[in-house]
Amino acid sequence: MIQIERQAWEAMVAHARAAYPRECCGAMLGVEKDGTRRVSIARPMRNAFEGAQEDTYVLDPAEQLQVEKEARARGLSVLGIFHSHPDCDAYFSRRDLENSCPWYSFVVLSVKKGEFDHANSFLPNFEQTAAEKEQLEYSV
Amino acid sequence: MAKILIPTPLRHFVNGQDAVEIAGGTVGECLEKLTTDFGDLRKNLFNDEGKLRSFVNVYLNDEDIRYLDKTATAACDRDTISIVPSIAGGR
Repeated sequence: MIQIERQAWEAMVAHARAAYPRECCGAMLGVEKDGTRRVSIARPMRNAFEGAQEDTYVLDPAEQLQVEKEARARGLSVLGIFHSHPDCDAYFSRRDLENSCPWYSFVVLSVKKGEFDHANSFLPNFEQTAAEKEQLEYSV
Repeated sequence: MAKILIPTPLRHFVNGQDAVEIAGGTVGECLEKLTTDFGDLRKNLFNDEGKLRSFVNVYLNDEDIRYLDKTATAACDRDTISIVPSIAGGR
């Protein structure tokens, strides 16, 4: 299960709304205990895709490295990655799956007509061929 | 000895350590040694053909080894090796 604290969740939604109609992306930092990932900080990140960002996001690896350092400095961990789906549902698309990593939770936010609609979290497998839906609680 | 920083989700494969000191002449040798010493970690970094998985990026200090000599990049004492997953997607 992944739980996202209120302040972190509000930062994620704000980033998704600000990026609309483009896809946003970012990292979720927190602690994992007894199988529950609890996110206390959401770190908005740059969408590094150089083409149309309405249906694509790419994390900047150099920025990821900085976020990883920040997490270590705070005694936290990078627990997952979030991104938005403008004007469509919060599913884990084939491209999401094929460019995923099994170490993290992947939270997808659906933003419709510029406003947050709903969200889901996914846990992809090693082969990047399937993703299991993960229980998600936000604004906890 | 180069220091390899271990991402949190992989730390339970290395007895909970957040970093592991490894002796090796290149980044590739360090990663091989790491995944020999901690065998359960190997599946996370390498595929069945022994190549780094497509989602694994490796940095030597702040440099992506793809823009250096890839896994043949020399790793010296006091160098830091970071493992950063490659992530992208879209609806």
